[in-house]
Amino acid sequence: MHAATTVHADHVHDHIHPAPEGFIRKYVFSTDHKVIAFQYFFVGLFFLFISGSFALLIRLQLFDPAGKFLSFDTYDSMFTMHGTVGVWLVVIPLVTGALGNFIMPLQIGARDVAFPWLNMLSFWLFPVAGLILFSSFFFMTPHAGWTEYPPISLSYGVGTALWCAAIICIGISSTLTGLNFTMTVVKLRAPGMTWTRMPLFTWATFATALVNMIATVALSAALLALFLAVVFNVPFFDPARGGAPVLYQHMFWFYSHPAVYIFILPAFGVISEVLPTFTRRPIFGYKVIAFSSLAIAILGFAVWAHHMFPSGISPWLQLPFMIITYAIGVPTGLKVFSWLATLWGGRIRFTTSMLYALGFLIAFTFGGITGIFLAAVPADLHEHGSYFVVGHFHYVVAGGAVLGFLAAVTYWFPKATGRMLNERLGKLGFWLFMIGLTGTFLPMHWLGLEGMPRRYASYTYFAATHPDAVFWNRVETFSAFFMAASIALLTINVVWSLWRGRVAGRNPWGARTLEWTIDSPPPYYNFKKIPIVFGRPYDYTEPLPYQNLDHDVDPYPAPTAASFPLPAPAGAG
Amino acid sequence: MSTKPQMIEPKGMGPGFWPVMIGLTILNVAIAAVILYTPLDWILPEEWNPVADRAADIDMLFKFMGVFGSAIMVYVAGFVLYAAVAFRRRAGEPSDSVGVQLHDAPKLEFWWTVIPTALLIVLVVLTVQVWHRIQFGTVAPALTTEVVAHQFNFEIRYPDWQGSVFSPPGEMHLPVGKPVRILVTSADVIHQFWVPEFRLKAAAVPGLVQNLNLTPIRTGTFDIACSEYCGVNHSKMQGKVVVESPEAFERWLAGERAHATTAASVSLGGGDAAAGKTLFAQKCAVCHAVAPFEQKIVGPGLLHLTDDPKHPKLVDGKPPTAANIAEILQNGYTGDIGAMPNRQANGLSDKDIANLVAYLASLK
Repeated sequence: MHAATTVHADHVHDHIHPAPEGFIRKYVFSTDHKVIAFQYFFVGLFFLFISGSFALLIRLQLFDPAGKFLSFDTYDSMFTMHGTVGVWLVVIPLVTGALGNFIMPLQIGARDVAFPWLNMLSFWLFPVAGLILFSSFFFMTPHAGWTEYPPISLSYGVGTALWCAAIICIGISSTLTGLNFTMTVVKLRAPGMTWTRMPLFTWATFATALVNMIATVALSAALLALFLAVVFNVPFFDPARGGAPVLYQHMFWFYSHPAVYIFILPAFGVISEVLPTFTRRPIFGYKVIAFSSLAIAILGFAVWAHHMFPSGISPWLQLPFMIITYAIGVPTGLKVFSWLATLWGGRIRFTTSMLYALGFLIAFTFGGITGIFLAAVPADLHEHGSYFVVGHFHYVVAGGAVLGFLAAVTYWFPKATGRMLNERLGKLGFWLFMIGLTGTFLPMHWLGLEGMPRRYASYTYFAATHPDAVFWNRVETFSAFFMAASIALLTINVVWSLWRGRVAGRNPWGARTLEWTIDSPPPYYNFKKIPIVFGRPYDYTEPLPYQNLDHDVDPYPAPTAASFPLPAPAGAG
Repeated sequence: MSTKPQMIEPKGMGPGFWPVMIGLTILNVAIAAVILYTPLDWILPEEWNPVADRAADIDMLFKFMGVFGSAIMVYVAGFVLYAAVAFRRRAGEPSDSVGVQLHDAPKLEFWWTVIPTALLIVLVVLTVQVWHRIQFGTVAPALTTEVVAHQFNFEIRYPDWQGSVFSPPGEMHLPVGKPVRILVTSADVIHQFWVPEFRLKAAAVPGLVQNLNLTPIRTGTFDIACSEYCGVNHSKMQGKVVVESPEAFERWLAGERAHATTAASVSLGGGDAAAGKTLFAQKCAVCHAVAPFEQKIVGPGLLHLTDDPKHPKLVDGKPPTAANIAEILQNGYTGDIGAMPNRQANGLSDKDIANLVAYLASLK
């Protein structure tokens, strides 16, 4: 293009290794971030089926208050495994592993992450963790919930020990990924991509990586202590020998609250990319959205004890944790308002991805508001340990992280595979998911406030005084199958589209971040020439702010024929 | 190669901002009226006619959060749905049509930062007030009860009437209108003591005693539920609170104490020390070592229970005779050292007590 940019590109880096040969190096022990992202995606999806099946078994158990479907013992291991698998083998590999790995290096114009070998190691710890965790079915499964509070978890020795070993593997993986992504964003941004020109998904991934790098170490420490307690009888948590059971809860939640932000920040990033593309509006309040991710990540470290208000902590300790938890509402609210303002005055295209993003806005806001209810100490003393909590965090995880993930899959699938997903199936899946989400998790809020405790294999006593509980639990059970159907439909859609989907081309949505300037799927090494960046990727009436691109791309990208007919009403040019 | 896209720009705040704002505000006022002026018993048990002093305070907080939380939810959802309709791309619009190219609106952003922050500050003030009343604002309790959680029941005790047998286990009786202190702890794993109608919950943690205060203000019978996973029968771990008139409470108490005196004498003849030793390992060794007094686990070592010159008396100040040891095993004891569960909690039969006493007397 220009002489100056050629000089610049030489200066950056200019020798490209040949792509690896052979199946094993190419698809199994690959160091390519895109292949690793796919590996995370398939592992995460596999465990999503398992965790989802456990959830359906839980719901079938609660269809009838007497709880005769499973034995109490089996039920306990089901909710434990559902939570454990859902948190560590589904959401974390999908949102940081798959999305972060695939999108972030492409968005910053990098050829890979900073430490590709470390990235491969991070991934391979996941199947190892899965094998360790599921080997517990041959001995004794963990039973004490995904939080595994001692002393009760110590009564399920082998199960708890295997659980600790598995989650420590994931902890190590998360720490390494956090370090890797942090260094990638700091060091490998294309020339000209200043911090305030970075795409917002990359900002969110950066904030997530910081949390992963710092918080996960506390989890590993907590689980190591629990492991020693259960295997070698070390009395960390035994009050009779000078230990403290509540100590574990502090260490566990020091990670596990920030972990909620590990789930949700990438989803925030996805929404901040999807909304501008389909409203054809610059993202409203770029800096507010970017910096509020950091603010949430930092404040997220000082709220963990809000999970422990009734656990026996000093009343005075409750106050700062309550107030800081309220304070997180401010940056989160600013994000939601900025997204609303992005919709306002846009020209909205209702693709599947956009529908998921709109669903996210409503479901996540609801989950955020019930979070404030839980942060208020006196109110929490009523809600804690009830179905209100279960409803709240499923709105955040399923209504936030999973909806964000689905928005991302439907948005980046054409880039990752070169094929379009079927929009009709996608939209049907969206409505099934929203109906399922509402029907399953909304009634939990009032059941919890009425007094229904969580982790009950049978609620005969509660149904005796609250006849409506049976009705609402049945509604929840039916609705859960709607969500299952939605995920099944997504799977069918993915398989069908890989085989028969329309060819996507480079930029079917007319998006402006760097990944849409290269081929779909991206070639090995992503960018033959490292692009040079002159501005933010959200100004639809300006020419693309890049030079030194590999291809001659349209300076004003618009949705292409591949993304029609569905986003375009009849008569559109 | 396409050209600069066509921008379709609405005027002012855009079409419909104020009508939508006013419509949603009317809806919010209606929701607030429902929350504030109608019974919410269908979500918050006994909200309209509270059964404990703290419940009214906590429900006030719920209603405050309910009014403003639902308002924010309605505005967000309302504007999302309205925008989805009003700003959809119309038939016939060019495929590259773009929306308003606006990056910021400082005045708007100022208000949507300031208003929620101000609401949160009001919420902080309100919650801190309620929190302070609940945690510290108690008058001297007229009655103290103790809850010792076990897998899988709540043992209820009244330390003011030491030695009484209260039955059935897991039933707490409280006189209406009297301030009461409830001390909560656990004998094994972590449980939670929850009475939804009282808006009252505390974890029962081994090695820790939590202090709850309330005044029941209306009579009735309510469920106690365990709300922390505590093992396979977690979902079967419930108890009852019976709030009754002071007269009924006194009658119940008198009945229980009469029952206690008649139940006092267990026949200790034929106690088998060997069987007692086995039983001790199962039931007692968690808290008591067979070692000198000073080697405490939870309770003291019991090696020289009957012949320790430094500790010539039992914890209740009586001489260490077989009958007095049996009395503690039957009724439990709460003193400076801690809480010894009673026979219901430990599941001890008359025969078990006789065997244990025989074994303890044999330790020298």
